[in-house]
Amino acid sequence: MIARLPGNTAPAVVFALFLLLGPTPSVASIETDLSLEPAPDGIDAGELARKAENNMRSERTYIAAKMTVESPRLSRARVVAFHSWENSPEKKSLIRIDAPAKDKGTGFLKLHPNLWMYVPRVERTVRVPPSMMLQSWMGSDFSNDDLVRESSEIEDYEHRLLGFDPGTNGNVDRPAYVVEYKPNEDAAVVWGSIVGWLDVETGAPLRQDFFDEDGERMRVMRFSDFKTIGKRHVPHLWSMTPLDKPGHSTSIEVTEIRYDADFDSDIFTTRNLKRRD
Amino acid sequence: MNIETRLAWRNVWRNPRRTALSVAATVFALVLVIFSISMADGSHEKMIEDAVRLSSGHVAVSGKGYRHSMTLEQFVPWDGRVEAAIEKADSVRAWAPRISSFALVSLGDRSHGSMVIGVDPEREAGVTKFVSRVNEGRFVDQNPGPGVREVVLGRKLAERLGAAIGDEILLYGVAYSLETAYELFEVVGTMALPDPRLERNLTIVHLDVASEFYVYEDRITEVAILADSAGNAAALRTELESVFAGPLGDELELQDYEEMMPGLVQLILIDDAGMYIMLAILVVVVGFGILNTILMAILERTRELGVILALGLKPIALFRMVYLESMMLAGVGLAIGLLIALPPLAWLNGMEFPLGGDLAQATEIFGMEPVLTFKLIPSNPIFSTLTIVVVALLAALYPALKASRAHPVDALRSL
Amino acid sequence: MLFRMAWRNLWRNPRRTAVVLTAISVGIAGCVLSMAINLGVMTGMIDTAIRSGLGHIQIHADGWDDNPELEVRLTEGEVPFASALDSIPEVRRWAPRLQAQGLVASARASVGVSIVGVDPERERGVSVAADSIDEGEWLGEPKRLVLGYKLASRLEAEIGTKLVISAQDLGGELTGQAYRVAGIIRASSRDLDDGLVFLRLEDAQSLFGMGNAISEVVIVTEDRERVGLIQQKLQSSLASGSEVRTWEQLEPLLVYMVQSFDSMAWIMYAAVFIAMAFGIANVLLMAVFERTREIGMMRAVGMSRVRVVAMVVLESTLVTMIGLGLGVGLGLVGVWLLRDGIDISTWAGSLDDYGIESVLKPSMRPRDMIAPLLIGALTAILSSFWPALRAGLAKPADALRRI
Repeated sequence: MIARLPGNTAPAVVFALFLLLGPTPSVASIETDLSLEPAPDGIDAGELARKAENNMRSERTYIAAKMTVESPRLSRARVVAFHSWENSPEKKSLIRIDAPAKDKGTGFLKLHPNLWMYVPRVERTVRVPPSMMLQSWMGSDFSNDDLVRESSEIEDYEHRLLGFDPGTNGNVDRPAYVVEYKPNEDAAVVWGSIVGWLDVETGAPLRQDFFDEDGERMRVMRFSDFKTIGKRHVPHLWSMTPLDKPGHSTSIEVTEIRYDADFDSDIFTTRNLKRRD
Repeated sequence: MNIETRLAWRNVWRNPRRTALSVAATVFALVLVIFSISMADGSHEKMIEDAVRLSSGHVAVSGKGYRHSMTLEQFVPWDGRVEAAIEKADSVRAWAPRISSFALVSLGDRSHGSMVIGVDPEREAGVTKFVSRVNEGRFVDQNPGPGVREVVLGRKLAERLGAAIGDEILLYGVAYSLETAYELFEVVGTMALPDPRLERNLTIVHLDVASEFYVYEDRITEVAILADSAGNAAALRTELESVFAGPLGDELELQDYEEMMPGLVQLILIDDAGMYIMLAILVVVVGFGILNTILMAILERTRELGVILALGLKPIALFRMVYLESMMLAGVGLAIGLLIALPPLAWLNGMEFPLGGDLAQATEIFGMEPVLTFKLIPSNPIFSTLTIVVVALLAALYPALKASRAHPVDALRSL
Repeated sequence: MLFRMAWRNLWRNPRRTAVVLTAISVGIAGCVLSMAINLGVMTGMIDTAIRSGLGHIQIHADGWDDNPELEVRLTEGEVPFASALDSIPEVRRWAPRLQAQGLVASARASVGVSIVGVDPERERGVSVAADSIDEGEWLGEPKRLVLGYKLASRLEAEIGTKLVISAQDLGGELTGQAYRVAGIIRASSRDLDDGLVFLRLEDAQSLFGMGNAISEVVIVTEDRERVGLIQQKLQSSLASGSEVRTWEQLEPLLVYMVQSFDSMAWIMYAAVFIAMAFGIANVLLMAVFERTREIGMMRAVGMSRVRVVAMVVLESTLVTMIGLGLGVGLGLVGVWLLRDGIDISTWAGSLDDYGIESVLKPSMRPRDMIAPLLIGALTAILSSFWPALRAGLAKPADALRRI
């Protein structure tokens, strides 16, 4: 059966790290397009990437957030509240939906590379099949695949320092190093490259632009509302704008985030998925 | 009747046996041609009817761009305007609204992709034959109560899922709002369809249930319309296009079956072409027969013609007379042929005769119902008759020329 | 003696005989040509299907017919197909394949497709896929894929574009891998152009966690007539665990078409010959009447009725057979002239779906001549019936009186 699915392919890493590595054809033009200045010597792109990574997550992270989706198809914005636990070395995570009422109790269990979904209303757990992986997650501009895709794909990417952005030319509002991430030839990712702006002072990501292989910008992620938690500078507002779908945007407002949280690994089972807590 | 005509007529019957044989050949050819064309027309009309009655009817109204994208994004606003417009059109036999999209169907750990069509059962039965193809259980209820979600599966789909009547299956898809649509349905029936691919992929639910599942509100994806005949489909589509002119029309797209199933149309064209070639050969052979008959008639009257010419009859008149004779010869054959062919066909028109055995199996492989049917359309006898007339005209040329060029002296010399 | 008389009689009125001969030969030539084109179309459809991947014979593991899934697989260890195939001389070429479903995605779109893992060199020998490469090249290096041009356009993919295939592997786990487009196919086949993605067999096996197992073996032979024989040999040497099926069993529609062609040919020839029979009878009748005096004389001189009848029948047979010969000759000339095919691509573009190519090539088999010859002979005899009877029944006295 040939199914024509909308082009919502976004194999990016959810909840931050979108690192695409590899040689982009339009390398030179990106630097000039973005009006970047040359970066100072001695900066290692890989180092920057790792620092940004560690800034966003720990080995065990708990997040509670509110996601707002806007699209021309919705008469008013859709707000989804959820909380999640993630164990990044084991590549496991569990997400539970809190609101709206009709979706409350829905759960997503990621055991890399598979994703299960539980819907309390029909009391069924389903493993998300390949055809559904690229469909939207909870009506947002993120896909199910985004959820599953590994957050820490430092190994799968090559990093290259593109330059320095003074923060005055409209891309971001603070000085940042700009790093290009290119996926390895082997990585099962369709992006051509991702360009990330990393705050010069804190190392936190400020913005990420996703490009396809022809160098066309497909989506933009922005990070703002930074709060300091321990040694980390954590953006509490992430907003994503898909450039191929006018009028669409998804933003995630973090209401609570706990690093090095204390929870058991046995919450990551399908049996636990069915419980409503 | 003037003298020329009377002479010509008498000449035709001078050798009754010969004329009879020639007439018989013409009758045979005409009857065969008319019957063959009507059988072909009948079977093609049936092919089209069978095909459109298991897809989207003769004409389909959908959102602009729907046929290309097949997503819920392109829709038909279902607020009464479109309905009113369709009701006003002529040659609409029936119409049915539908919501059609993709979903995964699963039972236990087996799941399959499927095309889901939400229908209004009563209206749908007027347009398509899905309802009559239920082989086990029943079709979805016309008025489902609140919370009642029924589904009818293609037989092969049910088999692949291991689903039986009464089982609860999960439908899992993407709604218009992009949220995940996820509901349990009860299997109330299965359908046996001639196209195995359709049978493996089709899931039917009630229109209202589909609207709720896909969060479609007051939208539908298409209106399937059945015209009163395949021949009227294009006209119907043009009429609807003018009815929909204006802002509503900009949102919509109309397609007739020729656009939706071009392969079928071309297959019919090729089939027709093959048949017409065969009939052409037949008619040519008959033409030669007429030629021969007239020629022989001329040759044996050489002396008589010579006398006539010597007596002052102009060659052109002789030419005309020979032509008249051949037209009469053809005419008698055509008249008898039409008399033999038309009445039975008029009676057989539209009737269906079930085929048996191998032939039945063979048509079913093509996805058609195993019946033999005739269809008489006016162009058939008109075209067939005209063809034979033209051939007769051509055939008579040589003998007529020969006759008019006859030399009175030579002719008389053969006395 | 009789023969010579009949022959001379024919040419007594050359114009009349010529007209009859023309009628017969044109009619037959037309039939021969249109039958040849018809057969050509049909044979073309079958060949296209066979060369587009159907092959002549396919081997699957038991249960594939009901359940064409990854689990129903062949391993050389359990079902020794390679050694069995190599030991059958009639098997010209064979190729292993892996068949599975998956999703192929580019940055712009995603489509559900059938994935075929092939041995690039072996596959060249059994299907036209490798030869239908329109852009780029066939599979060679690992981590490459080949797809049809319609599919490529849907994904907005070009040579070198990275596509990701995701699917469920043998264990039910989600699996995914990136491949670059090596080649784009353009063939008149819906499957090849729109529904399939080709990978190297090893790449497909690793993507689906199949180890060394495959889904099917496709076999192609030189002579279609040998297919049954090969099937038998394979079935006996592979004993159990596998299903061996011929193209006829895999696509019964094709078989039906060829069968219906034969019956259609007979009906067509019968109709045309019946029409001709009237003409022939007419001519003969005329001839008999003209020669009433002559026949009377022959009878008076002692020629038996039977011989008179025989003579007339012979005349009919001669003219019919000559016409037949001319017609068949003319028809064959037509077939030869059209041997490169009739190009209908301008107004018949959508026939790809039915496997009909846009260039119709006529084709003939010796046995296609049987129908016209038999029916022709029958017509000759039947159409001479009445005239011959009249000739035979003529009384010598009546005939002579006509002087």
